[in-house]
Amino acid sequence: MLSNLKAATFEVLETMFYLFPESLEEGEVLPARGPFLRSWVTIAGPQSICIGLQVPQSLARKMAANFLGTDEEEISQPEMEDILKETTNMMAGAFLSKMKASGAFKLQTPEAQWLAVEEEKKKAPVNRLRFDVDDELMELFVKKG
Amino acid sequence: MAYNVLIVDDSATMRALIRKVLVISGFDIGEYFEGANGQEALGILEHNWVDIILSDIHMPGMDGAALVETLKDHKLWRNIPVVLITTESRPEVINPFLNLGVQDYIQKPFRPETIRKKLTGILGEAQTPDAIESEGCDF
Repeated sequence: MLSNLKAATFEVLETMFYLFPESLEEGEVLPARGPFLRSWVTIAGPQSICIGLQVPQSLARKMAANFLGTDEEEISQPEMEDILKETTNMMAGAFLSKMKASGAFKLQTPEAQWLAVEEEKKKAPVNRLRFDVDDELMELFVKKG
Repeated sequence: MAYNVLIVDDSATMRALIRKVLVISGFDIGEYFEGANGQEALGILEHNWVDIILSDIHMPGMDGAALVETLKDHKLWRNIPVVLITTESRPEVINPFLNLGVQDYIQKPFRPETIRKKLTGILGEAQTPDAIESEGCDF
């Protein structure tokens, strides 16, 4: 499941953002420059799962600028939220295709939330994959049920 | 000849992206129209001619399925090609739309050339005014 999620994420990032993530080794650390933007989507079905993405604001801004083809200075906070939600939605769609999931699994509306550095530490998801994207930390997480 | 395009998606950001990708793809676009759901799309169609509709599936209010059903029941709009732009590619989700008469679908994430190829396949290569002139018109 995680390998399909990882493949789906790479596909979305490379196609829509021209970003090429690299997996971080266990214990490898990138400086945490908050605040962080977290987006997630629930896939409702026989066994519901929630998948999500978390990036620092600087990476969210870069992604939005790449996505919309504008300068980073012109990107607003709602645009960053919108882009990250759309990214999560695309990841989930690609993930369902790769899993060959039945039509019983349905994508819900994606959500997003800003987290300060301290909040992020408290709410850090357990099952997560960490990536280096242009020297910034991107985290993927998945939660069952 | 340029084509008028209606983009239907609840995300303003995604509408902007699709518009940008259409420009990059080099497809000859006349006018752009945008709606956040099926209801807004129908309102636009009441007052404007559209050559092709690019629509999302999941939208608040009137969703993609209800929009397509309404279009196919309308004597003037039933022949406007509809292409889904969606995160979904599972047959269980897409096939009911194809059965309703949707022309094709494009899965997000997509590249500009994918959009161009699909639209060209449906509408044909748009001709520039110069090309039309050089062919001449005999009445």
